[in-house]
Amino acid sequence: MQTLDIISVNIWHIVISLANLVLLFLIIKRFLYKPVKKVLAQRQAEIDKNYENARQAEQGALNEKLRWEEKMSTAKKTADDMIANAASTAQLRGDRIISDAKTKAEGIVRRAEEAAKLEIKNAHAEIKKELVEVSSELAEKLIKRELSREDHQGFIDSFIDGLGDGDE
Amino acid sequence: MSFKKFDKFIDFILLTLAIAPIVFIIILQVLTKPESTGITVEGARIYFTIPMPIQPLPITEAQVNSLAVLITIFSLCLYLTRNMSVKKPTKRQHLAEWIVEKCDGLVKNNMDPYFKNFGPFIASILGLSAFSSLLSLFGLFPPTSDINIVGGWAILVFILITYYKFKCGPIHYAKSFCDPPLLTPLNIISEIATPISMAFRHYGNILSGSVISVLLATGLAGLSNLLLGWLPGFLGDFPFLRIGIPAVLSIYFDVFSGALQAFIFAMLTMMYVSGGFPAEDFVARRSRLSKANKK
Repeated sequence: MQTLDIISVNIWHIVISLANLVLLFLIIKRFLYKPVKKVLAQRQAEIDKNYENARQAEQGALNEKLRWEEKMSTAKKTADDMIANAASTAQLRGDRIISDAKTKAEGIVRRAEEAAKLEIKNAHAEIKKELVEVSSELAEKLIKRELSREDHQGFIDSFIDGLGDGDE
Repeated sequence: MSFKKFDKFIDFILLTLAIAPIVFIIILQVLTKPESTGITVEGARIYFTIPMPIQPLPITEAQVNSLAVLITIFSLCLYLTRNMSVKKPTKRQHLAEWIVEKCDGLVKNNMDPYFKNFGPFIASILGLSAFSSLLSLFGLFPPTSDINIVGGWAILVFILITYYKFKCGPIHYAKSFCDPPLLTPLNIISEIATPISMAFRHYGNILSGSVISVLLATGLAGLSNLLLGWLPGFLGDFPFLRIGIPAVLSIYFDVFSGALQAFIFAMLTMMYVSGGFPAEDFVARRSRLSKANKK
């Protein structure tokens, strides 16, 4: 079988080999690069999508957190307000109750004092009246009877006893 | 279930298609190669010749073998990119993605950003060159040890270099030769020398590997005969030293050298194409043109 020389230039061989390389380039571009690049792009898109989703979820969570924090702070304020309100109301009511009680007590004391004064007055008037009655009775008795010293003494004693009875 | 079986069947067919061409050329070689007698360093064997206008076209081992490599790579591409999925990549999808990413990374590292779509071209140079050189592992004729094959690639690279140099217009192209004005002839020579040096570098390395392998095999046979010739009968003729030693050397001359030359050829392609392209001038010119268009 014939062989080529070790260095033998043949234009057709060169053209064929050039065409082979171009053909292989097209094959690799179409059948290796295109599908692989497609898959890589899809994967990249998926990763991007996941990141975007994660970012959005994070943003949402952050917003929610802010909202809740705001809510919590307002709630605390409201509670403080409520407590302060209640405290002031209670203070007010207590003050009023105390002052009411004080005035009531003062009224009671005053009335009692007035009643006592009236009683004293009444008592004075009664005593006066008794004295008038006693003196008039004494005078009557003096006029009616002659009195010895003993009689006199007995009379006074009986009078005083009677006075005590009358005073009851 | 039947679909899965069908799927496996297609995988099997593709793998067979990838291996079949190599097996075919091995069988072809076994059937047609005459028994070698002594040291012969010669070119590709001619199967038949087709008459063509300028020069007759002999169909040789180099042509058949490169066609086989082409079919193998095509089948491998189809096999690797079958049933790709976004979420659950299989092993072969990983391999396909690895190849694509490595080639793209190589292009990204060595070329101007303008050439970011050069990945498939570099991948095809690497694949074709490496597979062709590695054919010598099977004892086949590596197409890269034929000057015409590598020369064709180098001429394609030269066309690319010139095409990208022409991007800035013919005046700029002519100017690039007069960089130091006195050295114009040297510049022209170096421009023409680029594809020739690329072709001869690759071709020479692979061919010298084969030559050294042949010399070594013959030399080892002689040495074996000299040292162990006293053994009686059949044992005295058997070249014991040819067991193992050529295999170890073949790791360097066939595997390492073949892969390295493929890599060097791809690197030089990237360097020359990217280096010849006047990126800054091109950007300036394009912005100027777009401004003029706006006006």
